[in-house]
Amino acid sequence: MLAFLGAMALVLVAGAPWVLPAAAGGTNLESPRDVEVYIVDDSFILKWNRGSESLSNVTFSVDYQMYLNVYDELKLRIRAEKGNNTSPWYEVDSFIPFHKAQIGPPEVHLEAEDKAIIINISPPGTKDGVMWAMDSSSFIYNLVIWKNSSPAEERTETVYPTDKIYKLSPETTYCLKVKARLRMQRKVGLYSPVYCINTTVENKLPPPENIQIDGNNQNYILKWDYKYENLTFQAQWLHAYLKKIPGKHADKWKQIPNCENVKTTQCVFPQSVFSRGIYFIRVQASNGNSTSLWSEEKKFDTEIQTIILPPVINLKPVNDSLRVYIGAPKESDNKSVDEDYPLIYEIIFWENTSNITNKIVEKKTDFTFRNLKPLTVYCVRARALIHYEKWNKSSGFSDTVCEKTKPGNTSKTLLIIAVICAVLLSIPVVVYVVKVVLRCVKYVFFPSSKPPSAVDEVRSFSLSTAGFFLKWKIYLISTEYICFLDFQKIIQTDLGIFFQVSVNEL
Amino acid sequence: MSTKADVTRKCLQPAYLVGLFITGILSLDCNVLNIHLSRVTWQNMRLLSGMSNSFPIECLRENKAFELPHEILSHIQPVKRDIKKAFYEISIQAFNIFSQYTFKSTWEEKHLKQIQIGLDKQLQYLEQCLEEEEKEDEDMKETEEDGTKHSGTMVPRLSHLELRRYFNRIYNFLKEKKYSHCAWEIVRVEIRRCFYLFLKSIVLLRRK
Repeated sequence: MLAFLGAMALVLVAGAPWVLPAAAGGTNLESPRDVEVYIVDDSFILKWNRGSESLSNVTFSVDYQMYLNVYDELKLRIRAEKGNNTSPWYEVDSFIPFHKAQIGPPEVHLEAEDKAIIINISPPGTKDGVMWAMDSSSFIYNLVIWKNSSPAEERTETVYPTDKIYKLSPETTYCLKVKARLRMQRKVGLYSPVYCINTTVENKLPPPENIQIDGNNQNYILKWDYKYENLTFQAQWLHAYLKKIPGKHADKWKQIPNCENVKTTQCVFPQSVFSRGIYFIRVQASNGNSTSLWSEEKKFDTEIQTIILPPVINLKPVNDSLRVYIGAPKESDNKSVDEDYPLIYEIIFWENTSNITNKIVEKKTDFTFRNLKPLTVYCVRARALIHYEKWNKSSGFSDTVCEKTKPGNTSKTLLIIAVICAVLLSIPVVVYVVKVVLRCVKYVFFPSSKPPSAVDEVRSFSLSTAGFFLKWKIYLISTEYICFLDFQKIIQTDLGIFFQVSVNEL
Repeated sequence: MSTKADVTRKCLQPAYLVGLFITGILSLDCNVLNIHLSRVTWQNMRLLSGMSNSFPIECLRENKAFELPHEILSHIQPVKRDIKKAFYEISIQAFNIFSQYTFKSTWEEKHLKQIQIGLDKQLQYLEQCLEEEEKEDEDMKETEEDGTKHSGTMVPRLSHLELRRYFNRIYNFLKEKKYSHCAWEIVRVEIRRCFYLFLKSIVLLRRK
């Protein structure tokens, strides 16, 4: 603990004498008054007003109550001493050093390029300091930069401990100052001294610009723009979190496979190169003899860049509705299984025969289109969108799926009624037909000897002619049957001529 | 091996549920970011579990009670932003601790990288959410009176102090033990416990 406290520097500053009306004698020294404590990083500064004593041979001593760390309360007291006389202790209100402490100026190292400046900031306080021991990676730095020639036009930026300032002019003197900030505690530090540096002569080869990364199935496509042709490029990546940790990370950049010495302004590499995380990517051009400087570092978050695959649609016709099931896309690799973005779906549906399409946006993956025309073919296709406007990412459209709706309820009932009626009406008809058929069958196969009772009249004729065959047709119409009588034979007998009548029934 | 699976299962089930609750709590303006935050937090806890095969038994006797301030959340009014700030504090301290890692043979480098990446992501998502709110806050600050403002920031400050003291104890422990293998193992378990208890407190808060 003692060693710990030893790291703190205590600076005592005595203020101007404060003249009291002459004290009534006595050897009692006056204790210091108006003691104020300032803390900057690990330095404690005490300021006070001494009493009315003469300046000679007065010393002050400060006492502090032992404390464990900067987050515990600290009690200070101070008194004046002259020889054997001491003043009473003046006790400073207890305080928590961490709360009172002010963030001091950080240290800045600069390196100039033609259109950029590389900065390297060391956190405030000393390396073994205690005050900010737990905050070394928590500082946020605000940088103000201006051209030496026009100090009024200044630019403010928030920078990492290792960072670059871009968009500068070559061969110009730039000056800057940096202050550190702690976000949570809302502490704003003191500005560092002003550092000035000259940017270099413009490099022959400019750095690549406009780096873009897109995902495509199982690959990432890295693209950039470059003015000139016939150059080779290489691309590197860095873990984003390293930028927060102070120190040099120049050696931690790694080569992206398939992006070394490429002749085109793009390269394709598999998604497996980057596990889930946030990275920085930079590209450099080279023409064999010389290389350009590194491009601006592009932040790359694999979560945001991941491709969303189009969903799979299933349709099921139910009465006069169409039930839509939106399923997850077939995963091309295991990675996308874990991705549970809040997706919403844009669904486009239309009647197969018309050109008019309807578009709806739906959160659910199981819903129904109601009140559709029966026995009509409808088609549906959909795509997934990330439910966060700023990202503006969507999948491609799914395949179009078409289904015919079922016949409606009303026509069905009519159909049933019609069928029933038809059945009912046809029964007597059927019975009638069956009866007639049976009678004919009976007559043909089981003839009776009696003349049918339906024969009402038989006229008898006697004719003197002999051997003439007369055919008469006598129609006897009964109530039910129409019968045709054929006279076929004339039978001669003594008693006269009798006609044998054969009756044919129809 | 089977015990590890049991332990992980036991630890992860509530963590999973709790992870879902975080989504609800932190859903002020930060929609999708919260989904990621909850998932990332849960992943980080899983990483913390998976960094070692099992806690080395010989380190048990060096174990120390760091006295995680359970009551910290009772100090905070259940204002969503204060919970977020406390969560940010915990995350950033965990990140800082793991950034100091120097002992090469305790954990595989890839595990360490993963936890650092994971914690950084957690921080990034939290920062984005808090930044949006900070902007609103600054507009409000100008209209607020000093008195009320002061009292408003006192309460979270106190609880942040508790958290700081807690993490300070962890830092000091590491220093005392000279960043030994056992010390790192103990710290790893402690931080995981811290995450878990914090998330659990949030769930309890919501229930009130």
